[in-house]
Amino acid sequence: MRVVNFAHGEFLMLGMYAAFWAFTLLHADPYLTLVVALPLFFAVGWGSYALIMRPIVHTSHNVQVFTTVGLSIVLQNLALVLWSGDARFVRTSYYGSVISIGGAVLNLAQAVAFALAVAATAALFAFMRWSYTGKLMRATAQDRSAAALMGIDTGRIYALTWAVGITCAAAAGVLLAPIYAVYPTVGLQFVLIAYIAVVLGGLGDMAGALIAALIVAAVEVIGSYTVGTAWKELLYLLLFIAILVVRPAGLFGERGSETLGV
Amino acid sequence: MRTYGGALAFFAAAGLAPLLVGDAFLRDSLVLILIWGSAAGAWNIAGGYAGQISLGHSAFFGLGAYAAALCGVRWNISPWWGLLIGGALASAAGMVIGFLSNRLRGPYFVIATIAVSQVLLLGASRWRGFTAGSEGIPVPFRPGFWSLGIADKRIWVWIVLALALVVYLAQVYLERSRRGLQLAAVREDEDAALSLGVAARRLKVVAIAVSAAFSAVCGALWAQYVGFVDPLYVFSVDLSLRFALAAIIGGLGTALGLGSHLIGLYLILYGIALIVMVRYAPQGLVGWLRGR
Repeated sequence: MRVVNFAHGEFLMLGMYAAFWAFTLLHADPYLTLVVALPLFFAVGWGSYALIMRPIVHTSHNVQVFTTVGLSIVLQNLALVLWSGDARFVRTSYYGSVISIGGAVLNLAQAVAFALAVAATAALFAFMRWSYTGKLMRATAQDRSAAALMGIDTGRIYALTWAVGITCAAAAGVLLAPIYAVYPTVGLQFVLIAYIAVVLGGLGDMAGALIAALIVAAVEVIGSYTVGTAWKELLYLLLFIAILVVRPAGLFGERGSETLGV
Repeated sequence: MRTYGGALAFFAAAGLAPLLVGDAFLRDSLVLILIWGSAAGAWNIAGGYAGQISLGHSAFFGLGAYAAALCGVRWNISPWWGLLIGGALASAAGMVIGFLSNRLRGPYFVIATIAVSQVLLLGASRWRGFTAGSEGIPVPFRPGFWSLGIADKRIWVWIVLALALVVYLAQVYLERSRRGLQLAAVREDEDAALSLGVAARRLKVVAIAVSAAFSAVCGALWAQYVGFVDPLYVFSVDLSLRFALAAIIGGLGTALGLGSHLIGLYLILYGIALIVMVRYAPQGLVGWLRGR
């Protein structure tokens, strides 16, 4: 879509709250919530596109940046007003249980989140690569007017792309809920890593983003082992800035794509 | 003259107000309004006039706040030196961001500025030996003008009013001078400006460095006035957003937008206002009113 959504982290936060409330009020397991959350947040995404994004999707970058920033402020403070700023936890019965795979001991919730995230990424990748709708999305991203001339309903494709993005963010939130505390501003710390991975990989390059995410994770782990856990976030942020200075298109992105502002 | 009448009236009223109003709360509000207004004006130099939208300006504000606080705590020298040191450090950081602005456009640049402010936030909250870590630094109160330990809020109003005036004049300069027009040309179409021989890159870097220096001075005075520096606040994205919002709702690239954050709306309304503003009145309130 060529729109950077600065409210992405807030939808992730909403996903985490959805898991928290389903667990607290209905005693629903977060992984069960996922089944309901996916269509729900798809609808939320579609609605937010129709209401907020549609009028500005073809305007300048600054308008887009500040519209999504405004959306992020609204959602953050809505969560603050409705659910207070307290950090909340989802304490499942299997919280703290571990599994051991080939000698490596993993937290069960983290292992499940990892497996589901890999599955979701693979599914999304396959969808974008091989499905007809995925093809339409890529065509629209590459050249909107050409896509429109070929009879693609680009407005619908944009709404669909936006809704899929929101659904993915919320799904990530549901999966993270059993591992991390939920509070209104939780989105930033996750979404910053996501931006870094995407920019490192090259915007719009899914395989690149996946490899970059692994690089970020490796830097984080190696950094906390050698320099100390207190400095690990600093390391990947500095790496990020260094990459932007040296190779702004990202590791795998097409050279020059960043100055076009894509 | 008509265009500047409103601003002159605002500054005159702000200068006289502390003599007429004895209420400590109102004087306190006036000091903070002038500091935040100056910070928004400083943001506007980079974001409005140069078109380099930054969501990391708290980096500069925080550098200034820390410089002033550390001058008093670590080296026992006047916080006025902190203003200078903070301004110099922030200009250097601004040049780094300015350099990035020459390589990145649009959302890429915004993310990079957030990253820079986050680097400083993490640095300040983790470097315990020097910055006292995430618990923050209480700024010692030493009475006297030279040590900025001023209990009289009237003097504070006049100090920050002088700052607001300087920031305002810098914006007026950008509206009227040849350099300002060149900067506007770069903002509207960088490639076209370059082809006409405008030194686009240097102008952008200088604009961001100046904007950063002003932000640092705001931060230094704020730290001395409030008396406490908390890294999670002074380097936060929320603070960067506050500068940007005040400038945008006031009007990008208009000097009068300065006092606009007087609108004490709750943050949700702020967010909705932002969405509605950029949709229907991208020139800001001042631009919208002028267009009527």
